[in-house]
Amino acid sequence: MQNSFISKIKQKFISNPDLTFAFFLAITVYSYFGFSVEVFASHNLTFAILERFAVLGLIGLALTICIIAGEIDLSIGSNAALCAVIVVKLTDPIGAPLAIVIGLFISTGIGFIQGFFIAYLRVRAIVLTVGTLMLLRGISLVVAEEKTVMLTDFRVPDFITTKFFMYFSPASIMVIFVFILVGIFMRFTKYGREIYAIGGARKESLAAGVPIKRPMIIAFALSGFCAGFAGTVIGLKSGTAQGLGLQYLLLAGTVAAFVGGVSILGGKGGIIGAAVGALTVNFLNTGLLFYALQVHFVQLFTSVLLVVVIVFQTMSRIFDQYQSRKAFLESVDHRRENLLAKRDKFNLTNK
Amino acid sequence: MQDLISSYKKNLLLSILLTFFVLLFLYGIFATNNYFTWFNFKTIIRDAALYGIMAIGLTFVTLSGNFFLLSIKETAAICCVSFAMGMSTGYGVESWVGSFPISLLVTLLIGCLAGAAQGLFIGLGGNPIVVTLGGAGILYGIATWWTDNLVISFRRPNDAEWLGTGSFLGLPTITWSFILIAILAEFVLRYTNFGRKVYLVGSNRAAGKATGHENLSMAIIVCTICSALCAFVAVAFAAQMSSAQANYFSAEFGSSGDMTILVIATVMVGGNSIMGGYGNTIRTSIGAIFIAMIDNMMVLNGLNSGPRIVGVGLMIVFSILVFALYAKGSRAQE
Repeated sequence: MQNSFISKIKQKFISNPDLTFAFFLAITVYSYFGFSVEVFASHNLTFAILERFAVLGLIGLALTICIIAGEIDLSIGSNAALCAVIVVKLTDPIGAPLAIVIGLFISTGIGFIQGFFIAYLRVRAIVLTVGTLMLLRGISLVVAEEKTVMLTDFRVPDFITTKFFMYFSPASIMVIFVFILVGIFMRFTKYGREIYAIGGARKESLAAGVPIKRPMIIAFALSGFCAGFAGTVIGLKSGTAQGLGLQYLLLAGTVAAFVGGVSILGGKGGIIGAAVGALTVNFLNTGLLFYALQVHFVQLFTSVLLVVVIVFQTMSRIFDQYQSRKAFLESVDHRRENLLAKRDKFNLTNK
Repeated sequence: MQDLISSYKKNLLLSILLTFFVLLFLYGIFATNNYFTWFNFKTIIRDAALYGIMAIGLTFVTLSGNFFLLSIKETAAICCVSFAMGMSTGYGVESWVGSFPISLLVTLLIGCLAGAAQGLFIGLGGNPIVVTLGGAGILYGIATWWTDNLVISFRRPNDAEWLGTGSFLGLPTITWSFILIAILAEFVLRYTNFGRKVYLVGSNRAAGKATGHENLSMAIIVCTICSALCAFVAVAFAAQMSSAQANYFSAEFGSSGDMTILVIATVMVGGNSIMGGYGNTIRTSIGAIFIAMIDNMMVLNGLNSGPRIVGVGLMIVFSILVFALYAKGSRAQE
């Protein structure tokens, strides 16, 4: 019984090299910092990592969904910044819950509109989202009136960073909840499977009768929602928001998504991968804090991580192509030999 | 005349876009003070030259079907810093201090290396966006590491002044280089073997591969061209400021606050197909001048940076949507 369970897990890891590599990277980074930094494995630091995970995990999740659908959303940082500005600005006059609802509604709406244009005009997402990256940045600057928006009442930031059960805060519990919900949605519902279908093999899924518009709109609305949620968490946690802020999230989120094993060709990857990827990036960022390096070094090492993952993915793809080509050639050889043998037999019998 | 009207009717969406642009220009002439003057015109062209040259480099990448590079401002940052280091310290060699040719050569070499490395990964099958996102972080990290994030300045009477602040026949040197590079690039794209290959690989990669034009070498060459032009702009900019810092190109620049997006916007507003194979550098140059014109108009009307970014962003989104509608049903977007 035990044995079969282990072999099942083993099978899963062997069949999905990208996820295996993600786990490998996460464990490597964690154990490196765990051994070299004394306090790295303590309770407080785990709490801090989970707090950061609340933000980065959501951005990674948003990008993962887009990339699974075969597109990439570059406007994610601007969307998060806009939502942060709106929520922080509205929290004082109308209270946090209503402000959060309005902010999330707006960012989901933005994602929805983007998905709509991408699906109906058949523009590539990178083309459109480069435009909206700039447009949303401008809009959030206008909303913030080119200033840093601040909360005056700090009860909300205090509330969402209180500790529960040693490791969790309300923010990270909410985020884990969102992860589980999105995971169930992507894995077990028809709409989630459609997103995988249009990402993995768009022409084939079109031929099989999958509508291309609905999953595209759902994917972008979901990613807009996740980006907005991340912006909300950042804005309320620090109590401030800037129109030009949060642009670093695109790089961090992309690294998280790619470490988590999505393929740029689409249709691959999952929620577990996104979580593992975001955790890896968090381990790296948090661990580098102890070396008291400048901010740019964190960016440098994050980019190096991205390049490592890209090289791994490209190499494994080239290796796969090589293997399948070899198998194909072998089968051709085999068939040719069979045919030759048949011909010889035929010639012999005719003589 | 009849032909003109009929072609106008046939390309309705494109003409709506053009009409819109012309109307905006007329509004600028009549409603904005000091807009339609020779001095202001020179300012506009000078602004356009800085990102126009980079955009011409990016046009090669876009035409060859590799979308765009997100590492433009970081390449410019490292080149800018490298040039200033050469002018002020001579890379540690005493006799090289303040030597313009050596600084320029080393900077161009760094730019070409950065471009070739990214092009290699792109050509091997990496997605251009993701590869250059990673490359951007690495280049920027190295630039700040090299300079400790300080401002590197060099003394005023130096050999590089003619490039930064000099002028020739009443126009600044950078404007002349913009014009020359635009003509040269257009000539290369239109009449040389290499230029036609760029169009072939961009418009139909499978056909390119079947006829022996792999994307690997193409990606390396076009990324190198783009990065070298970025390096040139960085040198001109550093020579103009007589100093350099890694975040010169990330800080508020032009209207947008982000050089990379502005350059990509220039390519798109000009109406090049971002999927590759369709477009030319004249469109890019017109896009650069157009964005500079609109931006200049907004500045003269006293708008803050927020509305200006919204304006440029709306322009990009509008032109993307119009060109998408215009190209709907054609093979260009598949």
